[in-house]
Amino acid sequence: MKRETARKLQSVLALLLSTLAAFFGLFWLVFILGDVLLHGIRALDINLFAADPVPPGVEGGGLRNAFIGQLLITFCATLIGVPVGVLGGTFLAEYARGKKFSRVISVLSDIMVSVPSIVIGTFVYAVMVRPLGHFSGWAGAVALAVIMIPVVLRTTESMLSLVPWTLREAAFALGAPYYKVIIQVVYRGAATGIFTGILLSIARVAGETAPLLFTSFNNTFFTANMNGPMPSLTVSIFQYAMGPYESWHEQAWAASLVITLFILLLTIIGRMFIRLRYGKK
Amino acid sequence: MIEIQVKDLNFYYAGDHKVLQEISLDIKKNSVTALIGPSGCGKTTLLRCFNRMHDLYPGNRYEGEILFEERDILTGDVDLIDLRSRVGMVFQKPTPFPMSIFDNIAYGLRLKGTKKKSLLSELVERALRQAALWEEVKDKLYESAYALSGGQQQRLVIARALAVEPQALLFDEPTSALDPISTAKIEELMEELKKSVTIIIVTHNLQQAARVSEWTGFLMLGELIEFDRTEQMFTAPREKLTEDYVTGRFG
Repeated sequence: MKRETARKLQSVLALLLSTLAAFFGLFWLVFILGDVLLHGIRALDINLFAADPVPPGVEGGGLRNAFIGQLLITFCATLIGVPVGVLGGTFLAEYARGKKFSRVISVLSDIMVSVPSIVIGTFVYAVMVRPLGHFSGWAGAVALAVIMIPVVLRTTESMLSLVPWTLREAAFALGAPYYKVIIQVVYRGAATGIFTGILLSIARVAGETAPLLFTSFNNTFFTANMNGPMPSLTVSIFQYAMGPYESWHEQAWAASLVITLFILLLTIIGRMFIRLRYGKK
Repeated sequence: MIEIQVKDLNFYYAGDHKVLQEISLDIKKNSVTALIGPSGCGKTTLLRCFNRMHDLYPGNRYEGEILFEERDILTGDVDLIDLRSRVGMVFQKPTPFPMSIFDNIAYGLRLKGTKKKSLLSELVERALRQAALWEEVKDKLYESAYALSGGQQQRLVIARALAVEPQALLFDEPTSALDPISTAKIEELMEELKKSVTIIIVTHNLQQAARVSEWTGFLMLGELIEFDRTEQMFTAPREKLTEDYVTGRFG
């Protein structure tokens, strides 16, 4: 009898603590999102997307250049990161399946996923910006791609491993060579999973600031030249939020809102694909 | 007439682990040959020698000969793609590809280079009819093959193997994942198919072996204990081991 009471007490205590912890976490999340939403909506206007920045102290202006820059850098990062990640994941899951160094690469890329992004920024600074002598949009794209690659690689690898081995054997049994088996059968089976991984990895890098600070830097002018310093939303937010002008702060809030919504949207689409794939079965 | 002749076959998995010992048997053309035996006896391993499935994994090694149309298919210069399109295989679990029913059946044909749409349609229909699936799927050829039931999927896979007009079909416990009705359909199908194809089936189900096959081989610990006409094997086996197994004394 006594032991039962003790157990119940333990159970209630555990429930209480875990609920409190959950609410504590949730509170800050709602607080941050709410704050961004409130401040952001107030400062949101069409000029933010349509106008370029004006000199400090002058009213008005927007962040059109930063939006375009951000999109360009993220797009190029995707162009570099996705093929490398998908092909690398394919190599690990298919050609190097079960080999020791395949495990080593998997573990290394898991470590890569959690490397602080500023380290990657400084790394690209050292190997690209310094030798070339100037900041550039390409350097930013490479830095983001380096962050994307391990994410895409690991998702691809695990999604391909989920495709039953007998499915490959069935294709082999019809006389298909390995590359056709991979492209026509295995990729199809894993397509939604890989696509979701790609979307989530884009969402992951779209909000990065640190790797861009040292690579694409910033630019107050509109530019589509990936060879020169390039503005980006995240770096602009960083700069504007630190600046002394009220109008800068407002634009930083608005930009924060837009980028948060963008990433939220990407994540939701990604999740929807996951449900599409695994929810129904 | 003999379609496939196995002569003194030894097989080693990677690491020189010998699983088949001195197997010799003749597979008759247009008949059903069943391979039975307790788990781990090597019957599936033997089956997978006929289309060289073992080549997918490094380190596996064959010794001896398997003559198929008077040619040894275990030599290095055999074109595996060609071999596998002449010796089809159906697995334990249905293995439809993640594509439409039509594309599933057309897969092997496209691999062989058939591109013309009209010809493809014709061959796909013929294969589906052969596998007794046409009536059930003719209105949904372009829907995902995953929408079919397990039994239909298994017949789809058989149709896919038939589409390339193989001379032999290997069945690896094709009904162990199916319900009795689907099983009966597959067995009927085999009866029909053996008119044009040579069938080798691995099964755990002794009644199934007795029902569908003309010839039966009993394996144990990698050795072929007895190989004879199915009636003979199930009524008056020569070996004590065979008798013990088919009467359910072990296994």
